[in-house]
Amino acid sequence: MLRRELAIVLGARVTWLVIAVAALLVGHSFVLAVDLFTAGARSVEAGGLMAREFDPLLGVIRPTLGGIYISASLLFPLVAARALGIEQERRSLRVLLLQTAAPLRLLLAKYVATLAAAALLLGTMIAMSMLWLGIGGHLHAAEVVVALFGHALHLAFIAAVACAAAAWTRSVAQATAVTLLFVLGSWGIDAAEGFAALAWLGSAAEWSITAHLHTFEHGILSVGDCAWFFAATGGALVLALIGLRFDWPAYRRALGICAVLLITLLLMKAAGKQPRAYDCTETARASLPPAAVTALRTLPMSISLTVNLDRDDARRRQLDLDVVSKLRLARPDVRVRYPLDERAASAEAARNEGYGRIEVCAGATCKQTYSASRKELVTLLLESAGQPLPDWTQPNYPGYPRVVEGRRRAAVLWLSYLILPLALATVGLWVTRRRRRK
Amino acid sequence: MTFAWQRAAVALASEPLLRASGLMLKRAGRVVLRDVSFELFAGEVLAVIGPNGAGKTTLLETVAGLRIPDAGTVSAQGRVLAGLADSARVFSFLLDEAELPEEVTVSTLLAHAQKCSRAPSDLADSLMNALQLAPLRSARGRDLSRGERRRVALFSALCTKRPVVILDEPLGVFDPRQQLGILRLLKECAKAGTALLLSVHQMSDAEKLADRLLLLCDGQALACGTLDELRTLAALPGASLEAVFLGLLEKQKGSPHAAT
Repeated sequence: MLRRELAIVLGARVTWLVIAVAALLVGHSFVLAVDLFTAGARSVEAGGLMAREFDPLLGVIRPTLGGIYISASLLFPLVAARALGIEQERRSLRVLLLQTAAPLRLLLAKYVATLAAAALLLGTMIAMSMLWLGIGGHLHAAEVVVALFGHALHLAFIAAVACAAAAWTRSVAQATAVTLLFVLGSWGIDAAEGFAALAWLGSAAEWSITAHLHTFEHGILSVGDCAWFFAATGGALVLALIGLRFDWPAYRRALGICAVLLITLLLMKAAGKQPRAYDCTETARASLPPAAVTALRTLPMSISLTVNLDRDDARRRQLDLDVVSKLRLARPDVRVRYPLDERAASAEAARNEGYGRIEVCAGATCKQTYSASRKELVTLLLESAGQPLPDWTQPNYPGYPRVVEGRRRAAVLWLSYLILPLALATVGLWVTRRRRRK
Repeated sequence: MTFAWQRAAVALASEPLLRASGLMLKRAGRVVLRDVSFELFAGEVLAVIGPNGAGKTTLLETVAGLRIPDAGTVSAQGRVLAGLADSARVFSFLLDEAELPEEVTVSTLLAHAQKCSRAPSDLADSLMNALQLAPLRSARGRDLSRGERRRVALFSALCTKRPVVILDEPLGVFDPRQQLGILRLLKECAKAGTALLLSVHQMSDAEKLADRLLLLCDGQALACGTLDELRTLAALPGASLEAVFLGLLEKQKGSPHAAT
């Protein structure tokens, strides 16, 4: 069965067109990232910047993954929805179900075939990573694998949503439109992050797909985010399976949908609360200094942060990305509150004299500061717990500045903009060519 | 080659293999099947005939379990069929409107059909020869003509161990020479014990192939029986099926000139 489904997905020109366009997008992201990285690296050579700030994961891989993200969100639904949607369009789905008598096996075969196309899409990213290594760049395998794994989970989730959409609609166009609406809904939630006016949407942030990708892109393997994607993907696949059960009466299908939605949402909610995460970055640079981590982990009491900053304040964003994420790696149980998000009044009115204050508590003892420095906040936390700040030495991350110019830059341009997309398009044309009969 | 169930079915030919009772189906508020009942015996060919829009395909889909009837039941060997698993044990189906996947090679489609039905390789081989599919093996669905696609679809439907094969307009796309071959093949299948339920548009085809005929009009079974029984019903002894068909339709409409 898998052979037939693989042929339907990989034998379609639209699949290869999408992959070739995705390769172009990924290549473009890679070129932009490399140029920016190079511009900064020149300053290192001139002594203007510290070499250790040059992190290829955040400077090259993450921006390049942006191309994969856009492709997965806007282009891949075309391919993923087609695997099942084309059977609906050709009116062959029910006959196929009767022939195979195995809706689950059929769904899984279609899903796996879709994942094969997703693997090709991720392959473009792997090609860019190889290219970076080929031009003398540095990559740390574990952190890149974690970042790619996050995007693989994202692609698997989009594929499952597209399958569910195709099972419940009548054509590829309808299924693709539903999947795109789903993606746009998630982007709507993301829009709330930077705008105080959209604070009311803030509580929905845990349902944003993008929010669950961030940790992976920083080389952190979050158990909660993995579980969130697994729960969401599983739920979408079960919805697709119910959609295929045309032989069930309407009430049974309706009950099935309600039950699956409820269970999936509960599982996703529970997964989102799972704080355990592993820092897979080189020299554990996403974490606090090892001695501070040990000290924080040995604190017997609960710790919490109360941050009086609006969601559109750059300091808050910096705090979230730096101190909060590092504290969470050391102490997954840390509680972080943002009281201003809970106010009904407008953000401007909320900017009173306490604005910018951060309250740090260890057990019942609290201290306050207006600084968002990670060292300051950890010091206050430990002082609240009656402990001194331990050794603040971080393992040395050398940084890997790399200037890509001349022939190497030309090679990057040729490979990113022409050779890889063209090669994929050519392979696609060859695979989908008309065959002479023997 | 015959299977154990086929021999048993032939032995019990007095008992219907399939019984549809009071099938009723509404779609968008319109009744498309109205109290349709019939029986099908092992080794028998029952052709559903009727004007365009009579509900022939809908009836076949409902019998095969692809549509859930609002009333009525379909039972096979005395057991009421409920759900996909039950239907899949009994029916193999060729739907006229269903297209072959154009990206897949014929060899993959044939292997898939054989694997799904767990049919023995000698049955597959004989069907492949009868349908002349060997030269098409390397071609993709999109490279085939309409007749070739139909031959591949026929293989998928006939390469099965299931006792009832339902064929929706199996003959419409073939030239006269090919049609003779297909008619011969279908008769051989029936002879081996497979019950064939098919919808046919051309009366001449139905006359050549069917043991009994079910005349459907506006979702209602007007008549069901052998050609002679239908002739008697239409009061047209010795008439062709086409004349009987038109006669029965006119009779249904209440025209006094139906028989002429």
